[in-house]
Amino acid sequence: MPDLRLTDNGQPRPAPTPPITTPVMELVGISKFYQSRGGVFGGSGERVTALNQVSLDFRRGEIFGLVGESGSGKTTCGRLMVGLERADAGQLVLEGREITALRGKDLRDFRRKVQIIFQDPYQSLNPQLSILDSVAEPLITSQACPASEREGRVLATLKAVGLSPAEDFAYRFPHQLSGGQRQRVAIARAMIIEPRLLVADEPTSMLDASYSAQIFDILLKVRENFGTTIVLITHSLAAARYLCDRIAVIYRGHLMELGQAERVITQPRHPYTQALIDATPKFGDCGEVPRYNALLAPERQGGEGAGCVFFRRCARAHLTRCSRQAPVWRRLEDGDMVACHYADGAPDPGPDIAACPAPGL
Amino acid sequence: MALLEVNHLSIGYQTPKGLLKAVDDVSFAVDAGQSLGLVGESGCGKTTIGMALMGLLPPNGSIVGGNVVLDGQDLSGLGEDALRQRRWRDIAMIFQAAMNALNPVQRVGEQIAEAILTHKPELGREEALRQVEGLYQLVGLPVGRLHDYPHQYSGGMKQRAVIAMALALNPKVIIADEPTTALDVIVQDQILKETRELQKEFNIAIIFISHDISIVSEVCEMIGVMYAGQMVERGAVGEVFRNPRHPYTKALLNSFPALGGPRRPLKPIPGEPPLLIGHRFGCRFCDRCPVPAASCKLEPPELVQVSETHFVRCDNA
Repeated sequence: MPDLRLTDNGQPRPAPTPPITTPVMELVGISKFYQSRGGVFGGSGERVTALNQVSLDFRRGEIFGLVGESGSGKTTCGRLMVGLERADAGQLVLEGREITALRGKDLRDFRRKVQIIFQDPYQSLNPQLSILDSVAEPLITSQACPASEREGRVLATLKAVGLSPAEDFAYRFPHQLSGGQRQRVAIARAMIIEPRLLVADEPTSMLDASYSAQIFDILLKVRENFGTTIVLITHSLAAARYLCDRIAVIYRGHLMELGQAERVITQPRHPYTQALIDATPKFGDCGEVPRYNALLAPERQGGEGAGCVFFRRCARAHLTRCSRQAPVWRRLEDGDMVACHYADGAPDPGPDIAACPAPGL
Repeated sequence: MALLEVNHLSIGYQTPKGLLKAVDDVSFAVDAGQSLGLVGESGCGKTTIGMALMGLLPPNGSIVGGNVVLDGQDLSGLGEDALRQRRWRDIAMIFQAAMNALNPVQRVGEQIAEAILTHKPELGREEALRQVEGLYQLVGLPVGRLHDYPHQYSGGMKQRAVIAMALALNPKVIIADEPTTALDVIVQDQILKETRELQKEFNIAIIFISHDISIVSEVCEMIGVMYAGQMVERGAVGEVFRNPRHPYTKALLNSFPALGGPRRPLKPIPGEPPLLIGHRFGCRFCDRCPVPAASCKLEPPELVQVSETHFVRCDNA
């Protein structure tokens, strides 16, 4: 049977470290719209933008955080990445291959390479299947290994996610497990076919702190031992800071900021990121977390259409420029990205500079 | 004497396997205008305490020891009718999951008006609705949405409506059970701030139940850490956070990712909490404790005072 690269005793095999520059997956200008249902007479409803021109790349073995409020489009983004939704515009590229046109065997292959775990471990497992059957299912559908090897592989994977003795857990049913244990089963089920990319959609938001920390640890171990790229979808900047190498912040379907995790937390450039940091409850060594007061309350009116998507809530916004001209998603000197006219330390705008071009374009 | 005193409270559930002692010998006191945070993992008994204070334990649950004294009156001896009178008027609750706390087929404003009318029928519907308007302004809800149904509200609005309902009868004590767990950080921040302002304005005592230590550290002056039905540490928030004495409190603090300070490794607490059926010997945290002593398995530790405002249930603290 294939070596799971996890050894409890002895030396663990070195984690695969291919060049970090190869993206495992790329999103190129992805947009997704939902049509809200019209009135009683079937008139067409409003078009809601779930994702607008989102471009991201995920590097081999990296943990990437996608952070935003509910309704920001982060879950839609994750579902698109594993093929549960189709984009209305843009391209999804896995290991150099555009996947939107894939059919048949190629599509099955794609599905093997990307896996997802969901928020609610109480709903994502079939209550009538034993843990063994649940975790073995991807092996059966993908025909990844002969039937005789399945059980051994399930047991090894259960052990890898910290469910030991694995023989004991394999024959239990979901209702006999705690929330934290179920989420580990979900991780085992996703990892058993060794995907290139694992999307973790709010994996700990239903769990207690002590279980969350266990799940974080397992995700780190998964990355270390399998070299899997993990995309963590979360509303918690603290969780993203702990786990992630890079963080992207998304607001109403628009990317706001993308950069190295520690930099995004300690020196956020976009007012929305600053607002998220302000709103996060702090304890312990919080003295050095500054307050940014970047969120406007109550919201102002205007800014619909061509302006910045964050205009109505932004305390920093320049009334004319930001309401009329959407900032471009641009790269700054250190390689990080941002969508704000005034992100790179530009002085506070004067009374009216509506006509001036955006800096750094 | 404090506004609300909980003395040696024990609560049990009858189960087919025997009596499950969900809360065991818990004591605390809260004064008007003060807030106490109860933290701990799911199943540690914090919600059970809230339900018992409201007199809303399920049929198989009952207070098996100790008492609850509100404003000098022992609540545990009261009958169902007397309790119903005091509920909402003296002591109100903000329930976990606001979406389930509202009746989906009744307009939100009318639900709150109905709660007012149940206790003050003499007001009449017009006046009750006028009071609801005032409550809407208080919690930052647009008065124009008074006659909407719950499904037309966002998560944050529903939570505000539930807070408005809790405030409707000017209670002295509010029990807030995970009031912001389902909400986003920004909405959560707004609601926590508003709750604190309302608390100051009306001098309300709040018992804040949460598994999120960071929220409690922001909102409360006092904290009680619960483990397996027992209060293992209690004290002023600053003191407990700066100088945690119980190994469980320390472990809990170490399992939380923080936004400030150096990026430190989290230490998950290994294992699971014990089952609470049957008699237990020794310390309940013993099996998961990083520093157990041989004697811990034999003698259950007592809650001892380590400073004027700090109590710990650990012999080695």
